[in-house]
Amino acid sequence: MGEAIVITSGKGGVGKTTTSANLGTALALQGKKVCLVDTDIGLRNLDVILGLENRIIYDLVDVVEGRCKVHQALVKDKRFDELLFLLPAAQTSDKTAVTPQQMKVLIEDLKEEFDFILIDCPAGIEQGYKNAVAGADRAIVVTTPEISAVRDADRIIGLLEQESIEPPKLIINRIRPDMMDRGETLDVNEITTHLSIELLGIIPDDEHVISSSNKGEPIVMDPTSIASKAYRNIVRRVLGESVPLMTLEREKPSFFSKLKSMFKK
Amino acid sequence: MATKQLVTIKGTKEGLVLKLDDQCGYEDLLEALQSTKVVPQHKEADHLDIQIHLGNRYCTHEKLKKLLSVVEETQQVTVSKIKSDVLTVEESNQRVLKHQSSTYIGIVRSGQVLKIEGDVVIIGDINPNGKVEATGSIYVLGRVKGVVQAGKGGNREAVIIASWLEATHLMIDDVLEIMTNETTILSERPEMECAYLHDNGHIVIDRLQNLRSIRPNLATIKGGS
Repeated sequence: MGEAIVITSGKGGVGKTTTSANLGTALALQGKKVCLVDTDIGLRNLDVILGLENRIIYDLVDVVEGRCKVHQALVKDKRFDELLFLLPAAQTSDKTAVTPQQMKVLIEDLKEEFDFILIDCPAGIEQGYKNAVAGADRAIVVTTPEISAVRDADRIIGLLEQESIEPPKLIINRIRPDMMDRGETLDVNEITTHLSIELLGIIPDDEHVISSSNKGEPIVMDPTSIASKAYRNIVRRVLGESVPLMTLEREKPSFFSKLKSMFKK
Repeated sequence: MATKQLVTIKGTKEGLVLKLDDQCGYEDLLEALQSTKVVPQHKEADHLDIQIHLGNRYCTHEKLKKLLSVVEETQQVTVSKIKSDVLTVEESNQRVLKHQSSTYIGIVRSGQVLKIEGDVVIIGDINPNGKVEATGSIYVLGRVKGVVQAGKGGNREAVIIASWLEATHLMIDDVLEIMTNETTILSERPEMECAYLHDNGHIVIDRLQNLRSIRPNLATIKGGS
């Protein structure tokens, strides 16, 4: 029996879909059988980020309305044999095409077969959010160090606490250590004390995340990237390991470069 | 029955008290009040205040009004106070609600509204866009960063106490104070503070240690020796 985790944020554009894709891929790299479910009906993206866009035949709405079996709609990621699957959202309907009850049944079905089901939640707190949360056992809230994102995260955490699921955990995405040092954004500590939920991990801002998403290859597949390490750490924490929080690299001039610059003068 | 006096008058420290029998019928009582003049003679120009003690008799609002008018007419006095030893269950419940103190443990998050009858102790924070409304006072062990309304529905004695008072909006009864940077009552370190309604009609913030002199009646325990 697997576990269903919903990845949500309230605000749009903080990196829910990127996080879903990367956590899913990282779990598959750890040898877990993973199904990613895109619940952003009408505005699907997860397939693009995973590079599976042109393999979609059926989608979530087709499954719910009985036009196909779940297995027919699941898109297999060939880079991970039999480990990573995607249940894409429909692009032609909207959020009202599915009810929370139907989602619950669907996720229960998937839990029979997969170790992890990651549900990518749409932005907002309306029908789409309700659908995404309906079948989940755990929740991960993604935010960025921006005040607006933190406000929305607070609202979402409040709503999640009303559901009968485990207390949500937090990922702070797109951290710019230099701006944090200068006090131009909230720092990690301020965000965690304000939201007072457990911190699952932090992800530094890294432009490779965008370029790799554009190529349809989640960043975790590149082991050298710092964001990739951050995602891998988060996955190890999800699996129950205790991994210390990553220290963010600040570009500090080394001793020799300081020495050099002294002589240059 | 006729031998028993239904209406008696007594002089007390607080003034004249009209004691009404609580065992006889209501109509009998009215009759007794109309027929006998128990209040000592006085010049009509004099303004005479009396109190009425109903004892264990329960009167509905209409019955009480009738009784009052009969007393004031036939006895030529004004009634300053009516005392009764009985309460309806409803009144009693309302009193309990007004004086009860509830405890909430957790964070009042953005978009959540907590509505409470009576006082409330909140152990946790009130985050921005979160709101707490109480008919009594609000005590917060934590940070207030949202909206708090104490004394909702007319209790202007109610106060707001917080370990950290950084609210965006403060309300006591229906008086609203928006806490912007220009607000002069804001302190630099909003730690251990209380907000109350000043006699001038504005909300004032002070150190919570001063509450003892600002609202001495809020204390339910005295002493400490």
